[in-house]
Amino acid sequence: MPTASDEPAIRFEHVSKCYRRQEGRTLKEFVPAFVRGRGWASEFHALRDVSFSLQHGETLGIIGLNGSGKTTILRLIAGATAPSSGDVWVSGRVSALLELGTGFHPDLSGGENVFLNASILGMTNREIRNRFDHIVKFAGLEDFVHTPVKRYSSGMFLRLAFSIAIHSDPDILLLDEALAVGDLPFQRKCFERMLAFQRQGVTIVFVSHALEPVRGFCHRVLLLEAGRVVSEGRADAVVQEYCSTVDRPAADGKRA
Amino acid sequence: MEAISLPPTSHVRRTSTRRHPLASSGPAPHPGTLVANVWRHRELLWHLTIRNLRCQYKQSVLGYGWILLNPAVQILTLTFLFSVVLRTPSNGVPFPLFLCVGLIPWMYFISAVMAATDSVSSAPNFVTTVYFPREILPVSAVLMRVVDMAAGLVVVFGVLLFYGYGVGWTAGWIPVLFLGQLALGLGLGLPLAALNLYFHDIRFLVGTALNVWFFLTPVMYPPEIVPEQYRFLVALNPNAWLLGAYRTALIDGTSPSAETLLWTAGTSFAVLAVGYWVFKRMEPGFADSI
Repeated sequence: MPTASDEPAIRFEHVSKCYRRQEGRTLKEFVPAFVRGRGWASEFHALRDVSFSLQHGETLGIIGLNGSGKTTILRLIAGATAPSSGDVWVSGRVSALLELGTGFHPDLSGGENVFLNASILGMTNREIRNRFDHIVKFAGLEDFVHTPVKRYSSGMFLRLAFSIAIHSDPDILLLDEALAVGDLPFQRKCFERMLAFQRQGVTIVFVSHALEPVRGFCHRVLLLEAGRVVSEGRADAVVQEYCSTVDRPAADGKRA
Repeated sequence: MEAISLPPTSHVRRTSTRRHPLASSGPAPHPGTLVANVWRHRELLWHLTIRNLRCQYKQSVLGYGWILLNPAVQILTLTFLFSVVLRTPSNGVPFPLFLCVGLIPWMYFISAVMAATDSVSSAPNFVTTVYFPREILPVSAVLMRVVDMAAGLVVVFGVLLFYGYGVGWTAGWIPVLFLGQLALGLGLGLPLAALNLYFHDIRFLVGTALNVWFFLTPVMYPPEIVPEQYRFLVALNPNAWLLGAYRTALIDGTSPSAETLLWTAGTSFAVLAVGYWVFKRMEPGFADSI
């Protein structure tokens, strides 16, 4: 029976993303440049003609040097930024744990931030209330619910952010270098939770420079180089290829 | 680890595949879209607004007391300047009363426009990482200021009672007039918020423009003392109409004229429609230029 489930969770069709590097950020700088007819911004391609699709329940790893476009792909899936050309299709609720502590407000307490952050991720008030205790407990912050987040250590910050993201009942979970800061017990707990997500059929996109978890955890891996997909396939093979390109001096990343 | 084989799926919702939220080239955005988006994200809007309010007053000694103290001090200072030093006429109404009925709504208007202008650029974390309709940010900024307006109205009612004017049923026009002000402030704040991402000095321009606008609007003086050849400035100024209507409703105790209501409703709505359209057209670039 053909159902909507035949649709991939994520589909990129010839997606390119071009950023403008603005030199001036004020009218004072813009007006003279405009009058002289000089271009105001130079362009730079973060992604070039990227196509891939990901089925529901798959885990995709994305690896590559700094500046190769990994985070841009996550931002496109999250819907924060628009493709310059091509199409991005997404099916299901996306939950993102992108940069550390996204959307936390330093002056508010951990508990207050749970409500704000979870509602940004698309949870309803009711869902948040129902899961509040689980979120705090998973993060191990029962004693710090009323402490302003600015007093948190970076590990506490991460644990709370991660805990909110995984309790938001995602269909698609985006993880960007998320676990680097947590201590070993917390990392273990997270991996257990991610394996449980895999069993439940949650789609996961995982960006990391730590190759061991990528190899052990991802069904498929994309290797990016200067905004292009240079390799795609089983984790072992692609990680292997990445290691060998890095060792080759010619492939040195030219862009920061 | 046993991660290679594809696991069976179970609980995952099969929502229909949707295109990228910022890539749609659908129908032109109109105020109906704005209302629908705000309604759909009302819980997020609530959390954002509460967050901003808490943060603004949490760190100060007087806390929420500032909301009342600020307008009271302004009114006293300006009363001294205009009624004692400069002896400005106020249509036979006690000057403090005349002043505060105009000044409180005006202060709301300025702070709403300024807050909306900064609303998107001050939330880079949200804008670069997750999607929700970005108009939630300026709407939250404008709504947050409603608290100031409400506190200001308490001051206004106090002054009305003090001078023995009382509060009649025509005070019921306040929400209607306020809605017009809200639409006007938001209509200006939306495109300014978008432009502020591209030109960071827009906010200074906005500050200056609002200052000029303040002196051209009959806030501290009655419109009747404006010389004939400059009356058109008052006639074209939607804020002048709005403040006039507040004074009619609260001081004279009569309903604003149909002409006033139509004109202010028309301009506020038009400004909101155009402002929202501009905002939505610029929205796809926000995350890249913040």
